[in-house]
Amino acid sequence: MEAAIVFYGLSFFMTVLSLGVLFNPNPIMSALYLVLTMIGVSLVFFMLDAGFLAGVQLIVYAGAVLVLFVMVIMLFDLKREVYTFSRGFFTRLLKVFTGVVFLIILVKSFFLVPETKELLNSSTQMTTKNLAGLLFTEYIFVFELLGLLLLAVAIGAVALSRIKGGTHAE
Amino acid sequence: MLSSELLHIGLNHYLGLSAVIFVIGMLTVLLRRNLIVMLMGVELMLNAVNITFVAFSSFNQNMNGQVMVFFVMAIAAAEAAVGLALAVTIFKHYKEIDISAFEQLKS
Amino acid sequence: MNDSFLFAVLLLAPIFGFLFNGLRFKNKNYKLAGAVASVAIGVSFICSVVLVIKLVAMPEASRAIHVHFYNWIEVAGFNANAAFVVDQISAIMILVITGVGLLIHIFSIGYMSHDDRPSKYFAYLNLFIFNMLLLVLGDNLLIMFVGWEGVGLCSYLLIGFWFTDQEKAAAGMKAFIVNRIGDAGFLLGIFFLYVQFSTIEFSSLNTLATDLAASGPLGWSHPLVLACICLFVGACGKSAQIPLYVWLPDAMAGPTPVSALIHAATMVTAGVYMIVRLSFVYMAAPQVMTIIAVVGGLTAFFAATIGMTQWDIKKILAYSTVSQLGYMFLGVGVGAFMPAMFHLMTHAFFKALMFLGSGSVIHAMGEEQDIRKMGALKKAMPITSATFTLGWLAIIGVPGFSGFFSKDEILWFTYASTQGSKWLWVVGVLGAGMTAFYMTRLMCLVFWGKSRVPEGTHPHESPASMTFPLIVLGVLSVVGGWIGIPHVISAILPGHPPNILGHWLEPALATANLITTSAVVEWSLMGISVSVVAISGYFAYTAYIVKTDIPEKCVKAFPRLHGLVLNKYLIDELYFGRIINPLIDISKGLWVYVDVNFVDKLTYIASDFVKSIGRLFGSLQNGNLQQYAMYIAIGVVVMLSFILMG
Repeated sequence: MEAAIVFYGLSFFMTVLSLGVLFNPNPIMSALYLVLTMIGVSLVFFMLDAGFLAGVQLIVYAGAVLVLFVMVIMLFDLKREVYTFSRGFFTRLLKVFTGVVFLIILVKSFFLVPETKELLNSSTQMTTKNLAGLLFTEYIFVFELLGLLLLAVAIGAVALSRIKGGTHAE
Repeated sequence: MLSSELLHIGLNHYLGLSAVIFVIGMLTVLLRRNLIVMLMGVELMLNAVNITFVAFSSFNQNMNGQVMVFFVMAIAAAEAAVGLALAVTIFKHYKEIDISAFEQLKS
Repeated sequence: MNDSFLFAVLLLAPIFGFLFNGLRFKNKNYKLAGAVASVAIGVSFICSVVLVIKLVAMPEASRAIHVHFYNWIEVAGFNANAAFVVDQISAIMILVITGVGLLIHIFSIGYMSHDDRPSKYFAYLNLFIFNMLLLVLGDNLLIMFVGWEGVGLCSYLLIGFWFTDQEKAAAGMKAFIVNRIGDAGFLLGIFFLYVQFSTIEFSSLNTLATDLAASGPLGWSHPLVLACICLFVGACGKSAQIPLYVWLPDAMAGPTPVSALIHAATMVTAGVYMIVRLSFVYMAAPQVMTIIAVVGGLTAFFAATIGMTQWDIKKILAYSTVSQLGYMFLGVGVGAFMPAMFHLMTHAFFKALMFLGSGSVIHAMGEEQDIRKMGALKKAMPITSATFTLGWLAIIGVPGFSGFFSKDEILWFTYASTQGSKWLWVVGVLGAGMTAFYMTRLMCLVFWGKSRVPEGTHPHESPASMTFPLIVLGVLSVVGGWIGIPHVISAILPGHPPNILGHWLEPALATANLITTSAVVEWSLMGISVSVVAISGYFAYTAYIVKTDIPEKCVKAFPRLHGLVLNKYLIDELYFGRIINPLIDISKGLWVYVDVNFVDKLTYIASDFVKSIGRLFGSLQNGNLQQYAMYIAIGVVVMLSFILMG
């Protein structure tokens, strides 16, 4: 019962917050709503008994990625936008319609999923240790590859920003 | 009957939440003009997917899903970094961050 | 040497010359260009001679060398081979083409020495020889047609050789377009023959046509008769007969050696050659032969009348050529195929001679062609004058010279053949008289009498490269006729020289039935024509040397008739007024009213439809990234719907 209340409350807030990302004309406010949504996601992870991921979610998204967003927004000195949404009434309508249809299809498709087992709290298998074990044995190659990717991204981002003499060049 | 199904939080609830967030993220990408906000939409979509991963993982007692989430996060961070770097470049070139500046890409 | 090798060399030597000169067409070394071109034709000439010697060595009944190179076209029953044949008829033609061609090439070296595009000129000339050889050697009508078109092309290129002059370029186009009308007829004729006989090979055509004719007379709508008419239209175009003769006088815009080679000696006789080749086919359609005879006779007569009034030396020779070609058609029309070939050969000699002589005169006079500004050139140009005199004697038909034998033979057949008639004979004799008149007039005004050469022009004898061909052709103009001396004359000559040519051609040609008459009739007809020639020649001499006021009096006596003839019976004007201009008007009307208002509108509607659809879908690709993303989303939605619902 409590779990249901927490879930619905959390779901409601996350939906509202993500709608805020969608509708708020001010980018910095969008970023703020996004941070709050991310925190909501990490709470959902907690509820799903994935504590490590919830922590990582907080650190990576709320801590790192969103800071990046906010920094860029401040760098550009973005204000409240005059034209928030893309042009064309018909196109907008079509986009929204597509989204709604997509949602309906997704929700309908969930009922194709076979009967699920009960969520077992504090299961012995679902520990962070197991996660680490998997990550550093079975998935070690992908993990290393990911490290390479991040290195490439770091170099690439720096290179991109330095085009034509860097951020502050004329 | 109905209320018990509603009150008993199962896999479908989480999937429904993730679907809602995913569609909102998708609409953000489709509707907003600001490139940075569009990237935020992408992050929303990725997080929605993460929710499904974790939900399936927990309900199926399978750790592999969480490993995937781990990877998705890393990729999302990388994508955000590159996307923002691109945004910076575009802003330097056009002095604005409106996606319509990209319309020059057509033929 | 084997036959295919000889044929290959014979045909490819001119092509080699063409490529050699054509690929270095900007080169101005006229001596090298001329030498290569002449050597190429010389090689061809040697091959021709070797082939003819081989032919002579063969038994009389089967004198023909067939060579089959490869299957050219092979489509569902239709068969055209790249096959060639030398028989009695084409043997004469290749000797004339390469022999006279060689002389004219040599002449051209001197004539074109001042031109700035000699390589191009010789390349065209060699290409012409190649195509002409294709035309006469082809074993089927299609090969002949290729050559036929090829010589037309070369004729066009060479008439318009000095294309910077608008008039000369127009003359080239006129020749090409008029020839095109004839070529269309030729092609239709080939179709008709194929429809009737399912073959286009000459030998089988001739046999089949003879068989067909044996089964009874053919009606006008029979494919064979239609084919004969269409082929004759083609011959009319190429050989400048009424009504398609108008291009030949204008064709004199080209260099004079070209006029000699193409528009006198070889190409224009292609029509005669073609009819002679298909003599058996034509014998199966006597009504068409009557048409040919009448057209030929009328052409001979009217072209001669025009020739009497012209002042341009080349125009006179051009009308003379038209007139002589008329005689050849008169000949084939009455079934005198052998005399027609004979006249073709002798005409090639003396007309090439006269054209080259006129070229020599024009060269000496500094491109002056008006005979009123010449006169007394006999002293300045002795060799040209002497050889021209030989040509003159030959063309007017002085007994003993080549033209006499051949022309008289045609006139005799016209009178005596069952196909001919006495009226055509009268027309022919009158034409011969007029020929004597205008040629004597030409001689008087150019070489004899008083000099009217304008101050500052110093006529001089041409170089040896130009006089040598003249001398050779002069000799041929005299002796060329001796190989075809008719029976009645040889009967009184010592040693009774045989009719070599007649004997030679006999197995290859159809022969007309002659009305049996006594030798007295033949002698008297000969006497009449010779005396008509003599009287008219003497009259011309009197009128232009002794009493020079006679021509003017005649003009004053018949001013309208003279004006009409001087303006060539206003045929060009008639064509323009009745055919060309109405055609242009109709075309313009069709363009403005039908094309613009109807056809164009229709296509615009179609194109607008396509355009608007294109614009509709083009708007999908507008560069807007978000719309692209929407397409992806829609695509995903559609796919998922299919997966989940299907």
